[in-house]
Amino acid sequence: MVNGAVDNAAAALDNKVGGISAVPRKILIIDDEDDIREVAALSLETVAGWEVIKASSGAQGVARAAEHRPDAILLDVMMPGMDGPATFRELRRNPDTAGIPVLLLTAKVQGNDQRRFADLGVEAVLFKPFDPLMLPSQISDALGWN
Amino acid sequence: MSQAMGRLWVRFLPEIRARVAILEAAAEAVAAQNLTLSDQEAAKAAAHKLAGVLGTFDLARGTDLARELEATYSRESVPGRDSAKKLTSAAVDLRAMIETRKSM
Repeated sequence: MVNGAVDNAAAALDNKVGGISAVPRKILIIDDEDDIREVAALSLETVAGWEVIKASSGAQGVARAAEHRPDAILLDVMMPGMDGPATFRELRRNPDTAGIPVLLLTAKVQGNDQRRFADLGVEAVLFKPFDPLMLPSQISDALGWN
Repeated sequence: MSQAMGRLWVRFLPEIRARVAILEAAAEAVAAQNLTLSDQEAAKAAAHKLAGVLGTFDLARGTDLARELEATYSRESVPGRDSAKKLTSAAVDLRAMIETRKSM
Protein backbone atom coordinates (compact mmCIF):
# COMPACT_ATOMS: atom_id res chain seq x y z
CA MET A 1 0.00 0.00 0.00
CA VAL A 2 2.85 2.38 0.87
CA ASN A 3 4.64 1.55 -2.39
CA GLY A 4 1.43 2.13 -4.34
CA ALA A 5 1.04 5.54 -2.70
CA VAL A 6 4.60 6.46 -3.66
CA ASP A 7 4.01 5.31 -7.24
CA ASN A 8 0.82 7.34 -7.43
CA ALA A 9 2.57 10.43 -6.12
CA ALA A 10 5.39 10.02 -8.65
CA ALA A 11 2.89 9.60 -11.46
CA ALA A 12 1.00 12.68 -10.34
CA LEU A 13 4.24 14.65 -10.23
CA ASP A 14 5.03 13.82 -13.86
CA ASN A 15 1.53 13.64 -15.26
CA LYS A 16 1.27 13.06 -18.96
CA VAL A 17 -0.88 15.72 -20.61
CA GLY A 18 -1.35 15.10 -24.30
CA GLY A 19 2.14 13.69 -24.64
CA ILE A 20 3.78 16.69 -22.99
CA SER A 21 5.29 16.47 -19.54
CA ALA A 22 3.38 18.64 -17.09
CA VAL A 23 6.51 19.04 -14.98
CA PRO A 24 7.49 22.70 -15.30
CA ARG A 25 10.39 23.00 -17.71
CA LYS A 26 12.70 25.84 -18.57
CA ILE A 27 13.81 26.05 -22.20
CA LEU A 28 16.38 28.36 -23.73
CA ILE A 29 15.73 29.25 -27.37
CA ILE A 30 18.77 30.46 -29.31
CA ASP A 31 17.86 31.81 -32.76
CA ASP A 32 18.86 35.00 -34.55
CA GLU A 33 15.55 35.17 -36.44
CA ASP A 34 13.02 37.15 -34.43
CA ASP A 35 9.96 35.48 -35.96
CA ILE A 36 11.14 31.92 -35.32
CA ARG A 37 12.23 32.77 -31.78
CA GLU A 38 8.90 34.39 -30.92
CA VAL A 39 6.73 31.67 -32.45
CA ALA A 40 8.75 28.96 -30.70
CA ALA A 41 8.46 30.84 -27.41
CA LEU A 42 4.71 31.28 -27.88
CA SER A 43 4.38 27.58 -28.61
CA LEU A 44 6.31 26.39 -25.56
CA GLU A 45 4.71 28.92 -23.21
CA THR A 46 1.12 28.55 -24.42
CA VAL A 47 0.87 24.88 -25.39
CA ALA A 48 3.18 23.40 -22.75
CA GLY A 49 3.21 26.08 -20.06
CA TRP A 50 6.98 26.02 -19.97
CA GLU A 51 9.22 28.92 -18.99
CA VAL A 52 11.17 30.28 -21.95
CA ILE A 53 14.42 32.21 -22.06
CA LYS A 54 15.43 33.72 -25.37
CA ALA A 55 18.75 34.57 -26.98
CA SER A 56 19.35 36.10 -30.39
CA SER A 57 22.93 34.95 -30.92
CA GLY A 58 25.22 32.09 -30.07
CA ALA A 59 27.31 34.20 -27.70
CA GLN A 60 24.23 35.51 -25.89
CA GLY A 61 22.88 31.98 -25.77
CA VAL A 62 26.01 30.61 -24.08
CA ALA A 63 25.86 33.36 -21.46
CA ARG A 64 22.14 32.84 -20.79
CA ALA A 65 22.59 29.08 -20.57
CA ALA A 66 25.22 29.48 -17.85
CA GLU A 67 23.07 32.03 -16.01
CA HIS A 68 19.69 30.27 -16.16
CA ARG A 69 20.66 26.56 -16.39
CA PRO A 70 17.67 25.57 -18.54
CA ASP A 71 16.36 22.04 -18.78
CA ALA A 72 17.03 22.04 -22.51
CA ILE A 73 18.26 24.30 -25.28
CA LEU A 74 16.66 24.75 -28.69
CA LEU A 75 19.50 25.91 -30.93
CA ASP A 76 19.28 27.31 -34.45
CA VAL A 77 21.91 26.09 -36.87
CA MET A 78 22.41 29.03 -39.21
CA MET A 79 23.33 32.14 -37.28
CA PRO A 80 25.81 34.89 -38.13
CA GLY A 81 29.03 34.91 -36.14
CA MET A 82 28.89 31.87 -33.84
CA ASP A 83 26.67 29.41 -35.67
CA GLY A 84 24.77 26.52 -34.12
CA PRO A 85 27.55 23.92 -34.18
CA ALA A 86 30.08 26.43 -32.80
CA THR A 87 27.64 27.43 -30.07
CA PHE A 88 27.06 23.77 -29.22
CA ARG A 89 30.81 23.16 -28.87
CA GLU A 90 31.10 26.18 -26.59
CA LEU A 91 28.23 24.93 -24.43
CA ARG A 92 29.96 21.57 -24.13
CA ARG A 93 33.28 23.20 -23.14
CA ASN A 94 31.68 25.02 -20.19
CA PRO A 95 31.15 22.74 -17.17
CA ASP A 96 28.12 24.86 -16.19
CA THR A 97 26.34 24.06 -19.45
CA ALA A 98 27.93 20.81 -20.66
CA GLY A 99 25.14 18.62 -19.29
CA ILE A 100 22.21 20.56 -20.74
CA PRO A 101 20.58 18.65 -23.59
CA VAL A 102 20.60 20.50 -26.90
CA LEU A 103 18.21 20.13 -29.80
CA LEU A 104 19.18 21.69 -33.10
CA LEU A 105 16.56 23.58 -35.07
CA THR A 106 17.23 23.84 -38.78
CA ALA A 107 15.61 24.49 -42.14
CA LYS A 108 18.33 22.43 -43.85
CA VAL A 109 16.93 19.07 -44.88
CA GLN A 110 19.70 17.63 -47.07
CA GLY A 111 21.00 14.22 -45.99
CA ASN A 112 24.64 15.23 -45.58
CA ASP A 113 23.62 18.15 -43.33
CA GLN A 114 21.58 15.82 -41.15
CA ARG A 115 24.53 13.43 -40.83
CA ARG A 116 26.84 16.30 -39.89
CA PHE A 117 24.45 17.45 -37.19
CA ALA A 118 23.95 13.96 -35.80
CA ASP A 119 27.74 13.55 -35.52
CA LEU A 120 27.91 16.64 -33.28
CA GLY A 121 26.35 14.81 -30.36
CA VAL A 122 23.13 16.80 -29.96
CA GLU A 123 20.06 15.09 -28.53
CA ALA A 124 17.93 15.62 -31.62
CA VAL A 125 17.50 17.67 -34.78
CA LEU A 126 14.15 19.35 -35.29
CA PHE A 127 13.16 20.88 -38.57
CA LYS A 128 11.74 24.21 -39.65
CA PRO A 129 9.04 24.97 -40.39
CA PHE A 130 7.65 23.45 -37.21
CA ASP A 131 4.05 23.14 -36.15
CA PRO A 132 3.70 25.37 -33.07
CA LEU A 133 1.06 23.03 -31.65
CA MET A 134 3.43 20.06 -31.91
CA LEU A 135 6.80 21.58 -30.99
CA PRO A 136 6.51 20.90 -27.23
CA SER A 137 5.65 17.25 -27.76
CA GLN A 138 8.51 16.88 -30.26
CA ILE A 139 10.88 18.21 -27.61
CA SER A 140 9.34 16.03 -24.89
CA ASP A 141 9.59 12.93 -27.10
CA ALA A 142 13.20 13.63 -28.03
CA LEU A 143 14.23 14.09 -24.42
CA GLY A 144 12.12 11.31 -22.93
CA TRP A 145 10.12 13.73 -20.81
CA ASN A 146 6.89 11.87 -21.45
CA MET B 1 -3.14 30.26 -29.69
CA SER B 2 -4.39 31.10 -33.18
CA GLN B 3 -5.08 34.69 -32.20
CA ALA B 4 -1.58 34.96 -30.77
CA MET B 5 -0.16 33.47 -33.97
CA GLY B 6 -2.21 36.01 -35.91
CA ARG B 7 -0.66 38.83 -33.91
CA LEU B 8 2.81 37.46 -34.58
CA TRP B 9 2.03 37.26 -38.30
CA VAL B 10 1.07 40.93 -38.32
CA ARG B 11 4.19 41.80 -36.32
CA PHE B 12 6.59 39.98 -38.64
CA LEU B 13 4.84 40.62 -41.94
CA PRO B 14 7.10 43.60 -42.79
CA GLU B 15 10.16 41.37 -42.43
CA ILE B 16 8.55 38.62 -44.49
CA ARG B 17 7.54 41.13 -47.16
CA ALA B 18 11.12 42.40 -47.29
CA ARG B 19 12.42 38.88 -47.93
CA VAL B 20 9.93 38.40 -50.77
CA ALA B 21 11.00 41.75 -52.19
CA ILE B 22 14.59 40.48 -52.30
CA LEU B 23 13.43 37.47 -54.29
CA GLU B 24 11.40 39.65 -56.66
CA ALA B 25 14.44 41.85 -57.26
CA ALA B 26 16.67 38.82 -57.78
CA ALA B 27 14.27 37.38 -60.37
CA GLU B 28 14.32 40.71 -62.24
CA ALA B 29 18.10 40.73 -62.14
CA VAL B 30 18.22 37.19 -63.53
CA ALA B 31 15.90 38.27 -66.37
CA ALA B 32 18.25 41.19 -67.08
CA GLN B 33 21.26 38.89 -66.61
CA ASN B 34 22.85 41.27 -64.14
CA LEU B 35 22.48 39.28 -60.91
CA THR B 36 25.59 39.86 -58.81
CA LEU B 37 27.12 37.32 -56.44
CA SER B 38 25.98 39.50 -53.57
CA ASP B 39 22.40 39.53 -54.94
CA GLN B 40 22.52 35.77 -55.29
CA GLU B 41 23.69 35.33 -51.68
CA ALA B 42 20.97 37.68 -50.47
CA ALA B 43 18.32 35.80 -52.44
CA LYS B 44 19.55 32.48 -51.10
CA ALA B 45 19.42 33.78 -47.51
CA ALA B 46 15.96 35.31 -47.98
CA ALA B 47 14.62 32.09 -49.49
CA HIS B 48 16.14 30.06 -46.66
CA LYS B 49 14.49 32.22 -44.00
CA LEU B 50 11.12 32.12 -45.76
CA ALA B 51 11.36 28.33 -46.12
CA GLY B 52 11.90 28.06 -42.40
CA VAL B 53 8.99 30.21 -41.32
CA LEU B 54 6.11 30.19 -43.82
CA GLY B 55 5.01 26.64 -43.01
CA THR B 56 4.81 27.58 -39.35
CA PHE B 57 2.20 30.14 -40.32
CA ASP B 58 0.19 27.52 -42.26
CA LEU B 59 1.73 28.44 -45.62
CA ALA B 60 3.24 25.04 -46.44
CA ARG B 61 3.18 25.77 -50.18
CA GLY B 62 5.17 28.92 -49.43
CA THR B 63 7.83 26.82 -47.71
CA ASP B 64 7.97 24.53 -50.76
CA LEU B 65 8.38 27.45 -53.16
CA ALA B 66 10.99 29.08 -50.96
CA ARG B 67 12.96 25.81 -50.81
CA GLU B 68 12.94 25.59 -54.61
CA LEU B 69 14.21 29.17 -54.82
CA GLU B 70 16.87 28.48 -52.20
CA ALA B 71 18.07 25.47 -54.19
CA THR B 72 18.24 27.55 -57.38
CA TYR B 73 20.15 30.40 -55.79
CA SER B 74 22.47 27.96 -53.98
CA ARG B 75 23.94 26.63 -57.20
CA GLU B 76 27.46 27.77 -57.99
CA SER B 77 26.53 29.26 -61.33
CA VAL B 78 24.33 32.31 -61.68
CA PRO B 79 20.85 31.34 -62.89
CA GLY B 80 20.50 31.77 -66.66
CA ARG B 81 17.86 33.83 -68.45
CA ASP B 82 15.85 30.66 -69.03
CA SER B 83 15.32 30.41 -65.25
CA ALA B 84 13.91 33.92 -64.99
CA LYS B 85 10.30 33.01 -65.77
CA LYS B 86 10.22 30.28 -63.13
CA LEU B 87 11.94 32.49 -60.54
CA THR B 88 9.58 35.37 -61.25
CA SER B 89 6.53 33.13 -61.08
CA ALA B 90 7.65 31.74 -57.72
CA ALA B 91 8.23 35.23 -56.32
CA VAL B 92 4.80 36.35 -57.59
CA ASP B 93 3.16 33.34 -55.95
CA LEU B 94 4.95 34.01 -52.68
CA ARG B 95 3.85 37.64 -52.75
CA ALA B 96 0.24 36.64 -53.36
CA MET B 97 0.37 34.08 -50.54
CA ILE B 98 1.69 36.43 -47.90
CA GLU B 99 -0.57 39.31 -48.90
CA THR B 100 -3.73 37.22 -48.81
CA ARG B 101 -3.01 35.23 -45.66
CA LYS B 102 -5.52 36.24 -43.03
CA SER B 103 -3.96 37.37 -39.75
CA MET B 104 -6.59 35.62 -37.57
